Amino acid sequence: MLSILTAIVVLGGLGFFLGRQRAIASAGGDARILHSLPVYYGTNVALLTVVPAVLVLGVWLIVQPMVIAGAAIDLIPEQGVTQAGSRDLVMSDVRRLADGINTGVERGAFTAAEAASLDTATTDIRAVLADVGVALGTDVEPAILAAAQRSRQMSDTASTWMQVIVLGLAVAGLTYAWLRTNKDLRARNTVERAILGLLITASTLAILTTVGIVLSMVWESANFFQLYRWQDFFFGLEWRPSFEGGSELGLIPLLWGTIYISLIALLVAVPIGLFAAIYMAEYASRRVRSVAKPLIEVLAGIPTIVYGLFALITVGPLLRDYFAAPLGLGTSSSSVMTAGIVMGIMLIPFVSSLSDDIINAVPQSLRDGSYGLGATQSETVKQVVLPAALPGIVGAILLAASRAIGETMIVVLGAGAAARLDLNPFEAMTTVTVKIVGQLTGDTDFSSPEALVAFALGLTLFAITLCLNIFALVIVRKYREQYE
Amino acid sequence: MKDLNEMSQTDQESAVDVLKMQARGVDVFYGAGGRTGSAAGMAADLAADKNVTHAIKGVDVDIADKTVTAFIGPSGCGKSTFLRVLNRMNDTIEGCRVTGKVTLEGEDIYDPNVDPVQLRAKVGMVFQKPNPFPKSIFDNVAYGPRIHGLSSNKADLADIVERSLRRAAIWNEVKDRLDAPGTGLSGGQQQRLCIARAVATSPEVLLMDEPCSSLDPIATAQVEELIDDLRSRYSVVIVTHSMQQAARVSQKTAFFHLGNLVEFGDTDKIFTNPSDPRTESYITGRIG
Repeated sequence: MLSILTAIVVLGGLGFFLGRQRAIASAGGDARILHSLPVYYGTNVALLTVVPAVLVLGVWLIVQPMVIAGAAIDLIPEQGVTQAGSRDLVMSDVRRLADGINTGVERGAFTAAEAASLDTATTDIRAVLADVGVALGTDVEPAILAAAQRSRQMSDTASTWMQVIVLGLAVAGLTYAWLRTNKDLRARNTVERAILGLLITASTLAILTTVGIVLSMVWESANFFQLYRWQDFFFGLEWRPSFEGGSELGLIPLLWGTIYISLIALLVAVPIGLFAAIYMAEYASRRVRSVAKPLIEVLAGIPTIVYGLFALITVGPLLRDYFAAPLGLGTSSSSVMTAGIVMGIMLIPFVSSLSDDIINAVPQSLRDGSYGLGATQSETVKQVVLPAALPGIVGAILLAASRAIGETMIVVLGAGAAARLDLNPFEAMTTVTVKIVGQLTGDTDFSSPEALVAFALGLTLFAITLCLNIFALVIVRKYREQYE
Repeated sequence: MKDLNEMSQTDQESAVDVLKMQARGVDVFYGAGGRTGSAAGMAADLAADKNVTHAIKGVDVDIADKTVTAFIGPSGCGKSTFLRVLNRMNDTIEGCRVTGKVTLEGEDIYDPNVDPVQLRAKVGMVFQKPNPFPKSIFDNVAYGPRIHGLSSNKADLADIVERSLRRAAIWNEVKDRLDAPGTGLSGGQQQRLCIARAVATSPEVLLMDEPCSSLDPIATAQVEELIDDLRSRYSVVIVTHSMQQAARVSQKTAFFHLGNLVEFGDTDKIFTNPSDPRTESYITGRIG
């Protein structure tokens, strides 16, 4: 695999020099006659050498295991498949055995010829492979061995063909491009198209990844809703998972915790962040700004787990001793208030930094216009700058909100892990994200509703933050149109 | 054009000697940092500092009431800077220092007791680029009266807005859409809206910084007509790059060059019989 990639790259490098040389030669050594710079001719040849070969290689690597698995499964009798549970399990046995035999050959347990003629009746394959450090789960059955042997044989053949075809393609591409290289070839345009292709691929990958994430969540959530009624999930007021069965998996208490904590976080972050941004953008002198702005942004660089520790050992006990206990509102140091305040502190740089940029983007001419009418600085900020920047600021706040909704670590350490529907802000509660972690860590059975509920929770969360983000984007876009 | 000039002449004579603003020995420095000190000493000190830009050098100008005064000169000569001296807009620029004496009706506007915010309500300003606030047309015009509490009730405010829009010759175009955003108007309409906004606070002096530079000839003609109209109530100071415009709208002209006031006098005289060779070179297009 690695050797074949190296070969392609070397061929590409060779193509680069050959193409460049041929182009210069075709111009009689005068690079000014060429349509493009010599480097473009080289790149053109290199691209035609590398790109088709690598594409074919990629596709081949994806398709080959599928084809081989299809051929190998035919050798397993139907009852063997049902006995093992599923096709996937059988195939993983086959693959492990085939890999094991290969490793055995490499480590000298038997020769290549012996490996090809292994027989379950004469050799205890499991013991032999165990000697060279390959552990198999069960004794090898003849059908599995046959399937493994066929898959080994097929992948050997396939690898040989793959090398031949891919290298052949690289050489063909090199030759074709090299032959076409002459002083009138529009190599520059070809390279331009290749760059365009690269950029499109990058953006497509980003989109496809999102689609992939959504699909995997939807798939697992669909499994969950086959095991658990969706009405009970979305409208259930109790969260009591138990792996012995009979769990109550209601979303509402978790959603309530999420919204409550996020709300407190925003109540802390929005005024402080916004006022800080206004000071930075409108009042601070350049020197103050150059010191204070990076200092505020340091907050954004602190890992959330560190904020969590701050909540756990400082803010939590402080709130309990000076507010909750004297007011008779509870004795828990984990509370919605603790997590909310600390999360709010975390969000301050988000709000302030984005709002600062947005306030700075308001044209100076508007401020001049307001000052020119005899408005004071705060009147100008309140009546001209903020209304002009408002859509952008709302966008910043919504981005902060979706960040708050997705936060986990601060909640675990600050608000605890008890799902509860309560109005008391000094009571421990928990959020959707914490419960996702809770349901998937430890010894879990991925076919039980108690584990699968995590995906339904994740999907719900994703839907909420997606809506917030889209809302934010729409508002920000509207704002952009304002001063054109 | 000839008629207009003759008319200006007579109007000006009727209003002559009513002094509105006076500037004496004004210097402006950029990049002065936070330097303070006695005015006279500081000016000499700053003038000697190589790192400080000396934008205006000892300018004396008299601005008469009910007169249009034009500032002309090549780019970077300091005419806009000087205009901003007259309503202390330079205060909003970091590191800008103004020395010398500027009076509005005999009162020193750079006196520590004068509130620049109050001053700017009396000396309104219209900018080079139309800059309507992203608010409705009504709120744009009502902005100044609201901040300064010039109206006692809603009807009164609506009255001020209508009067200002009429005075800026835009009422007929916008009266049916006062709730529409001011940014949605055309360039010429936006500029007249900005003039209406400036007029709404009933200023005594109206400063206009190249008000027509981003407008087409038709809108320019409308604004010029408006300026001539405004002269009946206000003293107008206009910065312009167009010498024809200065000749058309103004009665007094000041020619700036490299931060110096080269010549100041009646527009007719400046354009027909300038006393300084530099003025002549500029108006005939040889420097600039």
